[in-house]
Amino acid sequence: MKILKESSVFTRRQFLKGSGVLVISAVFMGIFAKVGFDAVAAQEDVVQKRVAGLYSLDEKMTIRKSHENPEIIQLYKDFLSPGEIKPVSDKAHHLLHTRYGEEVPGLIAELKKHPIEAA
Amino acid sequence: MNANAKVLKHSGQTRTMHWLHLIVCILLALTGIGFYWDINWINNLFGGPANASIVHRWSAVIFVLGPLLYILFNFERFSRFVDTISNFTKDDFGWIKTMGGYIPFIKVDEVPPQDKYNAGQKVLGGLIIIGCLLMIITGFPMWVWRGVVAPGFLAFCYNIHFWTSIILILLVLGHFFLAAIHPKSRVEFSAMMIDGYVDADITAEHNEKWYATLKEVE
Repeated sequence: MKILKESSVFTRRQFLKGSGVLVISAVFMGIFAKVGFDAVAAQEDVVQKRVAGLYSLDEKMTIRKSHENPEIIQLYKDFLSPGEIKPVSDKAHHLLHTRYGEEVPGLIAELKKHPIEAA
Repeated sequence: MNANAKVLKHSGQTRTMHWLHLIVCILLALTGIGFYWDINWINNLFGGPANASIVHRWSAVIFVLGPLLYILFNFERFSRFVDTISNFTKDDFGWIKTMGGYIPFIKVDEVPPQDKYNAGQKVLGGLIIIGCLLMIITGFPMWVWRGVVAPGFLAFCYNIHFWTSIILILLVLGHFFLAAIHPKSRVEFSAMMIDGYVDADITAEHNEKWYATLKEVE
C-alpha cells in the first residue's frame, strides 16, 4: 500500500509563527500575572493593617469572651436553660441555630404549624 | 486516483494529545456545568460539588500541561499548525462563503481547494487557542487568588471564564458533529481518533492544496 506523508521541511515563516504564538501567550500571561501579583502585594499591606485594627479594637473591649458576658449568662439562667447555665441546651439549640438548604421547607412547615414553639 | 493509497495526517503524539484534551475537556465541561448551575446528578458523579470542584481544578492543570508538553516536544509540528491556520487565502474566504458545502440551503457549485485544514477548521483552531488562553488566565485567579484579589476583578474573571466556556463548548459540539456524525466529513474521524490515516482519494478531494505537497514514503 502506498503511504503519503507531509514534507518535513521546517520554514523560517513556520518557526516565526510558532514562536510568535508562544511569545505572545507568555507575554499576555506575564502581564496578567504581574497585575495579579501586584494586586496581592498591595492587598497584603491593607490586610495587615486591618488585622492590627481588629486586634486593637478587641483589646479595648470590656467583655472579650461571649461565655463571660453577664447578659448571656443571665439569658441562659432565665430562659434558655432555666436555673442553670447550660450552653447548647435543647431550647438554645432550637432557637439559636438556623437551617439551610433542603431543611428550609421543613422549617417553614414547622413554623406554620406551631408558630410560637418553633420560633 | 490512488485507490489503495493512504495519507498520514496526524502523528501518534498529536492523536494522544487530542485524546487527552478530549477527556479533560469533557471532565471540565461536566464539572463546570455541574457546580455552576448546582445540578446535583452531575455533581454526584464526582462525589458532590466540593469534589467536582477539585476534579475541575486538577483537570485544568492537565488541560494546561498536556498541550504545553506537546508543543515543547513537537514545536515544528505546532509551528506548521499555526502557520496553516493563520494562512487565510482567497480560497479560504471562498470556503467560508460556501460554508464548504455543509449547509444544505447554501447552493454550492464548487468548493475552493483547501489546505491540510479547511477554513472552518482554521477558524476553530484559532478560536480554541484564544479560548484556552482566556480560560487559563481567568481560571488561575479564581483558584489561587480568590481570597486576596478585589471582588470586582474576580467577578470579571468569572464572567470571562463562563462566557468563554459556553462558546468553547458550542464550538466543540459543532466540531464533534462535523468530525464524527456528518456523512461528508466523518470519513476522517479515524485519522484523529484511531490510526492517523486518511484515504488518499478523500484527502485529494477535501485538502487538495495540501495533497499536492505530499510525498510518497512507501
